[in-house]
Amino acid sequence: MTEAEPNRRAFLTRMGLFGVLAGAAVAVPVAAHAGSSGGTVPSLVLDLVRPALNTVSRQTYNALTVFAVPGQDEYSTRQGTPRSEPGAIEARATDFMLHALDNFVPFPDELARPIAGTLAAGLGGVPITLSGGLLGLDLSAVDSLGGAVDALLANDEVLPLSMVVALLLNSLALRVNPLSATGVLQSPFARLTYAEKAKAFSLLEGGDSTLVGAADSDVPEPLRETVSGLSGYVGGSLLTFSAFSTYSEWAVFSTGTRSVTGVPVGWRISDHDPGVLDGWDDLRGYYQNRKAVAA
Amino acid sequence: MRDVIVIGAGGCGPVVAKELAAHGLDVLLLEGGPRHANPRQEWSLLENDASHLLNGYLRAGPQDRSKPAWYRELPQNSFLWQVAGVGGTTQHYFGNCPRAYPGVFSGYAGADRGNYDVGHLFPFGYSDLVPYYEWVEATLPVSTAPMGTKETVYFRGCETLGIPVQTTKTTKGPSYRPQENAILPPGGHAGLTTDRSKLVFPLSTGCTFCGHCIQGCMQPISVPRNLTARRSTDNSYVPMGLTANAWSPQGKAVTLVTDSMVTKIHTGLVDGRLSATGVTWRDNGTGEQHREDARVVVLAGGAVESPRLWLNSGLPNPNDWVGRGFTDHYLDLVCGVFDDEVGNSKGPHSSARCDFPGYGALQNVGIGPAIQALAMTSSDSGIRGQYTNGRGLTGNWDGATGRLAATELKDVLLHGVDRILNVVTLTDDDVRPDNRITLSAMPADENGPVPKVRMDQRGRSTRSVRNREFLARKAVDLLRGAGAKKVYRMDLAPLMMHVHSTMRMGVSETNSVLDANAESRAVKRLFVADNSALPNSIGGPNPTLTSQALATRTAEKIFRNYFGGDPWVTTGAPVVSTDQRITRRMAELGL
Ligand SMILES: Cc1cc2nc3c(=O)[nH]c(=O)nc-3n(C[C@H](O)[C@H](O)[C@H](O)COP(=O)(O)OP(=O)(O)OC[C@H]3O[C@@H](n4cnc5c(N)ncnc54)[C@H](O)[C@@H]3O)c2cc1C
Ligand code: SF4
Repeated sequence: MTEAEPNRRAFLTRMGLFGVLAGAAVAVPVAAHAGSSGGTVPSLVLDLVRPALNTVSRQTYNALTVFAVPGQDEYSTRQGTPRSEPGAIEARATDFMLHALDNFVPFPDELARPIAGTLAAGLGGVPITLSGGLLGLDLSAVDSLGGAVDALLANDEVLPLSMVVALLLNSLALRVNPLSATGVLQSPFARLTYAEKAKAFSLLEGGDSTLVGAADSDVPEPLRETVSGLSGYVGGSLLTFSAFSTYSEWAVFSTGTRSVTGVPVGWRISDHDPGVLDGWDDLRGYYQNRKAVAA
Repeated sequence: MRDVIVIGAGGCGPVVAKELAAHGLDVLLLEGGPRHANPRQEWSLLENDASHLLNGYLRAGPQDRSKPAWYRELPQNSFLWQVAGVGGTTQHYFGNCPRAYPGVFSGYAGADRGNYDVGHLFPFGYSDLVPYYEWVEATLPVSTAPMGTKETVYFRGCETLGIPVQTTKTTKGPSYRPQENAILPPGGHAGLTTDRSKLVFPLSTGCTFCGHCIQGCMQPISVPRNLTARRSTDNSYVPMGLTANAWSPQGKAVTLVTDSMVTKIHTGLVDGRLSATGVTWRDNGTGEQHREDARVVVLAGGAVESPRLWLNSGLPNPNDWVGRGFTDHYLDLVCGVFDDEVGNSKGPHSSARCDFPGYGALQNVGIGPAIQALAMTSSDSGIRGQYTNGRGLTGNWDGATGRLAATELKDVLLHGVDRILNVVTLTDDDVRPDNRITLSAMPADENGPVPKVRMDQRGRSTRSVRNREFLARKAVDLLRGAGAKKVYRMDLAPLMMHVHSTMRMGVSETNSVLDANAESRAVKRLFVADNSALPNSIGGPNPTLTSQALATRTAEKIFRNYFGGDPWVTTGAPVVSTDQRITRRMAELGL
């Protein structure tokens, strides 16, 4: 048993996942999984793990951004809100989110590692697709979301913030609907309905004491309460940033000309006319014709 | 050795710099962000490019946009909206310049005097500040705002509220009115045309109704810097400081150094008392450290960075009030959806308001689709129809408070962003010791430990909650009176764009950092001259004019107490920042 295991068991219990995952709903070798982590993995295997995790991450963000602005895509259909107009996917909101989170928000390794490790413990039962069977490698330790993350951590890889947030959303997805552990697509969060996603957000935003408490306790002082704060912040900003990016010019902005190369999705949706940018003919005079007031 | 070093060229630092330079002092003005010298070459006026909190051209961060923004730990669902660079957050601002309510000052004797944050009043009377208000109003200059379509709709609503029109600068009771704002009124073709060939200075002068105040004002086309429509300090006080020798007989031009972050305020014993003696700053581009000494240091880094720098400099904090007492007007947003166009994205963002002394204020806010979507997905009440986060307030608005998402958000925006009229509540919120700026345990950046900004939304005082509830209901009445078909109340999570009172001046030594002259009680020759010096949330009115008036008063105190000079505000006549001597000199300097 690794040193981290009691913590992980406590985490799973508090997450309400221990019973679920250890029970019959999904067959998960919790103890085996926890035991298998910690060793180094051949770099060839890591080469398979990284793209697989990136796929999970991208799908999670696709599912997140359509939660804010659904469109004509399969993620919107899956959450039960298909639309006939374009939405976040057409506005490339996933790229916006990944770019912003990973390039501009500092996320210290001291936080990333314990949080990711804690979350990985609950994600051992989520199979992921690795395209490497033909190489004859033993992939049993890394063919789950939790195992893959553990492998990266054990090999001292730096996990970007976007990945940790994706793990968080997928952990919440399992909590909301344990059956989301398996199915089409690679991300449990992407398998949720709109109402289930909202439920996941309610846990995140409410500073869900089980989840946050577990993560907080695995983080060294003096960063402890930072995790609970971060969770509230993330719960608030994921949706707002998704909406902001979709309704902005970002996807069709050219930095060279500092202008748009086409009509942004969000402008089309909201019937926004930027005009000539330098002025509008909207002057309607002065209220009661008063142009100055007394002292 | 300089006479004075001013830290921060935002809304208020340049006011002190300009006033003292006009009287011949040698002033160094240090700014952590960029100077946008050529907005036409640097700005797009597009919402994400301008306002992305992390990498927009108007953000809190160094000049090089490929470098991260300044990290601030926000340990709650919230937004902190500040801008670095010459002009500071006034590069975003709407130019609204109401005065504080008289009830937030000592000595107020009105019948409603018990209705304010009485434990945290200004340490002097309203009449003491009036000459400084008048001075700043004449300098910027401030005038009565014209209407666009959205203001005609807003006033239609106001006319149903049963309150009078205010026709004075001083607010004396519940009322509505056009904003008094620091935006030059439209002249020539401005506001009347979309033909770019006519939107050129001087065929057009003043506000062209472009609708991009948040994205930065650079109108009309080809306008000289100091004649630019919106009077953010990069267009008003900074040009005056840089040209002080051209318009003031004894003036000495301010030295401005940008993209340079002050990392330490130095102290020593002067005349036997612990005093500020100088600063160290770091060039963001090269990483080089510089040090200069001064007779007086003025801290004006804004309500978050000022306490951060204080704490990072290891300055004394005997009563532990540095960073405490943070107020933010406890903003809420009420959105009315109309059948017809109301011009949301056109014209200056906010040219109309209502005042309810003792409660706070309302104002309209016009915005483009991205910020509209951001605002409508921000709430402390969960997601409408899904979960309430323990709130989900009901009242005279439609349904419960909460974020709009997915289908509901999309349907509102599909109806047309220009058919939405927003009203924001500027709440008279109470000073609370636990709402505060501290140093974060997250990794330090190159300027030292980063700030942690705590705003406990659920721990607001009973009075603050009462005020916000009162204002939100008035906003709904207003929108319905104006003809809104549907009204949403957001119950915003903290949207911190009016940030004040974190280094507050006060009557009592036990709960304030500054004395009545805005000088630090613990460190002499160290003054604070930004929003953080305010003793309270000034009753709800937009803060900048009051901070600028206070900064003018502080400049006089510095001049009198440390340089033996005479005060000038009650006896002198202010030069307006549009003066042609400034225009000419800026052109000579190639600025
Ligand atoms: C969208 C928006 C609209 C607004 N509209 C209005 C309005 O209509 N009316 C109104 O009254 N107010 C408005 N405000 C608020 C207004 O912008 C602020 O009140 C005002 O800018 C505060 O001035 P300040 O000097 O306190 O801080 P800031 O303007 O934030 O300036 C602080 C400056 O100091 C610099 N700095 C910080 N630390 C250091 C350091 N260590 N070394 C060097 N430089 C440093 C920063 O880079 C910054 O430039 C608005 C704000 C927003 C976001
Ligand atoms: S609306 Fe007027 S004040 Fe605002 S940016 Fe445009 S021209 Fe400037």
